[in-house]
Amino acid sequence: MSSDAPAISTTNLTKRYGAVTALDGIDLVVPGGVTYGFLGPNGAGKTTTIRLLMGFVRPTSGAARIWGHDCWHDGVRARADLGFLVPADALYPDMTGYALLDYMAALSRKPPVLRPRLLEALELGQDALNRRLNTYSKGMKQKLALTAAIQTNPALLVLDEPTDGLDPLIQRSFESMLSDLRGSGSTIFMSSHDLAEVERTCERVAIISDGRIVAEETIDDLKRLHHRVAEVIFAGEPPAGLDRLAGIDVTGRDGNRVVLSLEGSVMPLLRFLADRDDVVDLLLSPPRLEDIFLGYYDTSANGLGKSQAIPVTAAIPKESIPR
Amino acid sequence: MSAIPRMTGRVLRSGLPGLVALLLGIVLFEFVQPLVIASFGGAQGLDMIMERIPPALQAFTRTRPEFLALSGLAGYLSLGFTHPLYIVLAGAAVIGFAARSLAGEMDRGIIQIPLSRPISRRAVYTSRVLGVGVICALLAIAGPLGMVAGMLYARPSGEFAYGHLGAVALNGLVLFWAIGGLSLWGSAAASTAGRVVAWAISLLVVSYFVDYFAGIWSPLESIQFLSLFDYYDPTQALVSGQASTSDVITLTIVGVVAALAGLMVFTRRDLPA
Repeated sequence: MSSDAPAISTTNLTKRYGAVTALDGIDLVVPGGVTYGFLGPNGAGKTTTIRLLMGFVRPTSGAARIWGHDCWHDGVRARADLGFLVPADALYPDMTGYALLDYMAALSRKPPVLRPRLLEALELGQDALNRRLNTYSKGMKQKLALTAAIQTNPALLVLDEPTDGLDPLIQRSFESMLSDLRGSGSTIFMSSHDLAEVERTCERVAIISDGRIVAEETIDDLKRLHHRVAEVIFAGEPPAGLDRLAGIDVTGRDGNRVVLSLEGSVMPLLRFLADRDDVVDLLLSPPRLEDIFLGYYDTSANGLGKSQAIPVTAAIPKESIPR
Repeated sequence: MSAIPRMTGRVLRSGLPGLVALLLGIVLFEFVQPLVIASFGGAQGLDMIMERIPPALQAFTRTRPEFLALSGLAGYLSLGFTHPLYIVLAGAAVIGFAARSLAGEMDRGIIQIPLSRPISRRAVYTSRVLGVGVICALLAIAGPLGMVAGMLYARPSGEFAYGHLGAVALNGLVLFWAIGGLSLWGSAAASTAGRVVAWAISLLVVSYFVDYFAGIWSPLESIQFLSLFDYYDPTQALVSGQASTSDVITLTIVGVVAALAGLMVFTRRDLPA
């Protein structure tokens, strides 16, 4: 591994299938040691990006690199210390759980140091591991695939929908495991449809839509940059002038209740309300990743995605990339 | 153990029941040949029957009655290695493995297991070539072993040199290797095992019948050299104890060139989604 290279980087990465452009020149940098969420609706290009990173498909143009090694031309070195979540339905059905774990650890050429902890966290018992995989449920296969991906404590984990098929308790246990891994310096790159999970687990996210990155930020910055919803209840008729405040739009009125959309600081609203004595209640909801994500998806679908996009290169502070 | 033999062992084990069944089928089929000949009264009894067989059916045996009369018991026993059932059983084993271990694994996504580790596509492909080699070797010795068992059991009249079965095994080995190499090439290019099986069996059938009909229809003689079976002569091998060197070399080269072409394809292609 090149110590000064980011865990993952892509340069103008493009993939076309005939006339269809699956990925349109994406530039992405995932610094080492972070947990990175990769979000997008179905068909946006998430899986294509992951397949390019794994060297399963060849870029039409541009390059994908892991620790500085080209994923297509130098794939063996790129995958030298990588854990990948193989889809649960792509495991040898005639193998036992133990045999599969041993096989995958042997191919990784690293000892499965984390296996006991993972088996305990994911509640995979001896009985199940001694059975053939064709007797496993989807959830059990997913647990086994996760164990196989992480058991050698790789420096980089690439996880596509890691908690798909897991029950909520096991999901939380797995998230705790990811947190421990991050604490020990591992880099985690994960795609997920479970935005709440990404919000709990990841520090940075990239949102991809129609094969382009439309946002790349830390989750905190993403929230700060986006609209929040506030609801104010007055004792009587709502006052005029709310929509003249900086960064505030009135999006709804219902009797003495006003719904506002806030962009940026909440201070102008608080100052306005502090000067009044007819405020009954103020409900300020924290911005949710789901709302942000849906906002990008809606604007992108309307052809507004480009104008809303945050330049990725500008969004990544250079000092966050370890040297 | 290094990664290549480990992967070979894995793909062989995943199709083991089918492979064992086909090998047992071949052993049994060849075991029966001496029993059948003994039931006809040995080689002499069969000589009289062969003289009455029409030319089209003689071509099917890929030899002539006068040759069989001269070659005796070995000539008749060699028919067990040119019989379509023998070819079908052996072809199914080698084509099935080649199709399942690459295109089948790409179709089901299982190929992601090795390719997501620090393993090159070349190493994955080499492990499949090694698997084809193992299966070809097993197929090549299964038939002769069955025949030896049948001979010891039925003891038909006539002279027979057990050592000549080595030449039959060698000729079989290179034929199966050529079929395996071509199947691997198809498997590297395709995305489903079914398509590879259909393609390879079509090739095998056309190849078999070009060689078969060339014996009775002269226009086909000019393209007979294109058939793999033109280089497969177990009768000559069993009678003389020697496989034709040029035949062995030709089939070996066909297998090697096809396997290399498959490697070129597999290391450059996108895996199916």
